[in-house]
Amino acid sequence: MYSILKPCKTTAAFEAIPRERFSLDLDRCEEILKKTCTIVTNAGVILIINDMCEVSIHRDGRLILKTDSNELAAEQAVRISGWLEGTPAIRKPKKSTGPE
Amino acid sequence: MAKLVSLISGGIDSPVAAYLMLRQGVDIVAVHMDNRPFTDEKNLTKAMSLVRHLQHLAGRPIKTCVVPHGPNHIAFARNCERHLHCLFCRRMMYRIAERIAEKEGAAGILTGESLGQVASQTLQNLMVENQVIRIPVIRPLIGMDKVEIINIARKIGTYEISTLPGLCCTIVPKKPATAARAGDILAEEEKIDPGALIEQSLEGMYVLDPETM
Repeated sequence: MYSILKPCKTTAAFEAIPRERFSLDLDRCEEILKKTCTIVTNAGVILIINDMCEVSIHRDGRLILKTDSNELAAEQAVRISGWLEGTPAIRKPKKSTGPE
Repeated sequence: MAKLVSLISGGIDSPVAAYLMLRQGVDIVAVHMDNRPFTDEKNLTKAMSLVRHLQHLAGRPIKTCVVPHGPNHIAFARNCERHLHCLFCRRMMYRIAERIAEKEGAAGILTGESLGQVASQTLQNLMVENQVIRIPVIRPLIGMDKVEIINIARKIGTYEISTLPGLCCTIVPKKPATAARAGDILAEEEKIDPGALIEQSLEGMYVLDPETM
């Protein structure tokens, strides 16, 4: 689900960027993730959870992983992907059928 | 001695603004708006290190208050127009700072804003932000560019602290308003209760000794 993991410009966190375009229903994400993680807050436009590290989950699918460890950030992104992939929390854009 | 409430973020600009006024003999009360969980604890640590450094430069102690601002962000994000978020944030900071100024006997608010540096710092936005308070906002950096500010920060030794790792605010909208209209802001603010949020923030405020962090 996530292919790019890059340090934030302030080097205090890592950013995971989705491989494909999708959006997240953060209320549904909260429902799913609360079974395994601590929900810090759901501000509607951003969901913050705590698992291996604190993570900000954005509606456009981006993750901000609050750790200075690349390995931990990567592992955390994979865990979140595993929990969300294939669930209704992920909304993929409709494919264009081309001009009619 | 004249006194100002100085908003200290942990970034480059606000400690420079505070230094310039300390140098003029102005007394300051430092206020850090704690944006967690939309930032991380490193910003609080940086802000405290900066105040500690300013104390050493000034040769006198600086009373330092920390105000929880995260719950305010949640209220704005849940209820109000997304692109106006930074304006709600700043208007709330000013309102809280004004209340602290009243309590501390300070004559105004001191910020590190400089014109056009970020989206919220346009002349029109600053005007809309000013409208919620009655005391003056002192902005010693308003006409400076970033290079000038960085040069002062390097000279006084705050640059190295300000540029330590620290997470930027993650709830900032992708396209913040650059020319907000007062009417739009007022209509949106009716969806929240700024008075209650101010009281909550002040109830959660605590005084911290920067030397102990």
